[in-house]
Amino acid sequence: MAADGGLSGRQPKAVQSALAVLECVARLGAGVTAKEVAESLGMPPATVYRLLNLLVGEQYLVRLPDLSGFALGRKVAGLAGAIAPVRVPSAARAVLADLRKEVRAGVHLILYTATTLRVADMDPDLPLQDPALVERHLHATAAGKLLLAEQPEWRDLVPPAKLTRLMRATVTRPDALDACLTRVRADNWAGQAGELHEGTACLAVPVRDAEGSLIAGVAVTSSRFTVSVDYLPSAYRFVDGLVPLLT
Amino acid sequence: MVTVPAIVLAGAGRATLPAFVAATVLVLLVGWCVSLFAQRLAAVGGVYTYTARGLGPVGAVVGGWSLAIGYAAVSMSALVGCALYLAALFSLPSSSVALLVLLVGGLAGWCTVRGIQLSARVALALEVVSIAVVLVVLAVLLLRLPEGLGTAAPVVDGDVRWGGVAVGVVLGVTAFMGFESAGVLGVEAQRPLIAVPRAVLWTPAVAGVLFLVGAVAQVVLLRRAPLEVLMSPVPVSALAGETGWLVRLLDVGIAASFFACVTGSVNALARVLFSMGREGVLPAAFGRVHLRRGTPVQALSLCLPLVVGVPFVALLAGAGGRSVLTGTITVSAFGYVLAYVLVCAAAPLFLRRIGELTVWPVVGGLVAAGLWLLVLVVALGGESWQGGRAMSWAYLAVLLPGAAWAAWLALRRPSRLARVGVYDEPTVASVLPGSMAA
Repeated sequence: MAADGGLSGRQPKAVQSALAVLECVARLGAGVTAKEVAESLGMPPATVYRLLNLLVGEQYLVRLPDLSGFALGRKVAGLAGAIAPVRVPSAARAVLADLRKEVRAGVHLILYTATTLRVADMDPDLPLQDPALVERHLHATAAGKLLLAEQPEWRDLVPPAKLTRLMRATVTRPDALDACLTRVRADNWAGQAGELHEGTACLAVPVRDAEGSLIAGVAVTSSRFTVSVDYLPSAYRFVDGLVPLLT
Repeated sequence: MVTVPAIVLAGAGRATLPAFVAATVLVLLVGWCVSLFAQRLAAVGGVYTYTARGLGPVGAVVGGWSLAIGYAAVSMSALVGCALYLAALFSLPSSSVALLVLLVGGLAGWCTVRGIQLSARVALALEVVSIAVVLVVLAVLLLRLPEGLGTAAPVVDGDVRWGGVAVGVVLGVTAFMGFESAGVLGVEAQRPLIAVPRAVLWTPAVAGVLFLVGAVAQVVLLRRAPLEVLMSPVPVSALAGETGWLVRLLDVGIAASFFACVTGSVNALARVLFSMGREGVLPAAFGRVHLRRGTPVQALSLCLPLVVGVPFVALLAGAGGRSVLTGTITVSAFGYVLAYVLVCAAAPLFLRRIGELTVWPVVGGLVAAGLWLLVLVVALGGESWQGGRAMSWAYLAVLLPGAAWAAWLALRRPSRLARVGVYDEPTVASVLPGSMAA
């Protein structure tokens, strides 16, 4: 964001005010009007309106259908998700342990918020080479592709300029990623081979709550050169068992 | 950038450049008012939807109808312009212009029915190339400026008449034609609430600079030119008459840019009619789309014959190419200006409705609406201006059925107006899960 706007960090007041507006919308709840925010903060209305429109433009807030009310946007969920401690119920861990016995590959549990993912439970015997990479390069991992496929517009999470080429096989062209995500939506699972590490393939199967939102995923990694689709049936069977434990 | 200065010079004389500066400033004000809406909602109907949010359905239907007149008339005039420059390119007799109109109209129709994807890319490429060519030619001509004044000088430095100035300002609008249509694509853009306001503010700024540069150059050049050049159907081409191969390139460039203008305005016209058809203001047939291509075929097939037919008949009836061009562009400018008046007046009302009214939008909206209204009224009543009065009547005659229709709907069929101004609502997915429960 800073690149084009030339934000020098020398407008601390503006940043403080924007955060105060965000906080105020969170406190007063969905449907709060611009005027109420201005009154509650004691700030000049024109400033508050401008900040509200900026935050709506950046999708930290949304306007409700009547156009006068505001609510927190999905990007806020991403902020919150990044600091919340990860808790996996022990019953869910038991289900994962069963799956690990059945497949000869690394089985990991991924937890999702609306815009982020966390590696919540890594296979102790066959760990991920670098979980931080999985959380950062969404376009190059199976778990990340599941999350991107869930977005109304993936470019909001990963600007096309940030489609880093990590390996030769990494998808870096926006239209190629578009096609890939369309396939993910149709198949309801995601896979990649050699996009993050040479010679490592991965597939991820979603865990959805009753409304169909993506809440978690089971990722299966193996040292192969193609996506190991033969693990799909077992992964799906265990995912069904995870749904009641994670929702 | 090319046509308007010569036309306005004939009516406004010495006041041409000030009139253009005024037009640029006023259009920037309109852009600002439109951006107030664009920051807050993403709408398929563009200015039409914005007006509906502020002034209610009747204002929106009148504004939308006026805008549709503007789009239709400008595509007619661009069609004639394209035919005129093509005729100049191939040195065809003036009797062939009517046939060229048919030909170009058919080609433009084919482009628009094939889908906006094609037309948008073609238009952009044509526009960039032709602007570059025009700038180069004007620069070359300025470098070889002839000595002494030409016979056109008395007209270029002619007396100032208020009617002429007002028409000059109104016609200046046509140089910014379609800047507000960025709003139409709001729904398809990725971050519409940021991208559209930016486009609506910057497009007129960039266009204004190009337009003023072109106008200054032409005023300087035409002052030293014979009167025949100023009054010719293709003034810029006539100016460049001595430059040999460059003039061919110029003719191609200008004809191409007129062609881009035809496809662009026909698309915009079809979209407005399509929106009205969808909302039940116009017969539902307008809201039908091509099954495979997704283009509003029905609306296109109704407006294309009109757009081609009117100038064709006028030319056959013996009207000169230049007067058809001038007449249609004047009607179109009237159409735009009324739509601008309404959308500027709608801005403060809209902000009040959603409880975000501050001082500046009130001042800006009222000043812009008031000044544009004043200019429009003076221009409509513009006296002693070549054919100006006839065009005022023509515009009012076309506007009247639209206004009457809106009034009839409001009195008799208010339910059909209820859906005017559909805008995009945030999808549940874009609201933070759980925060809507409250």
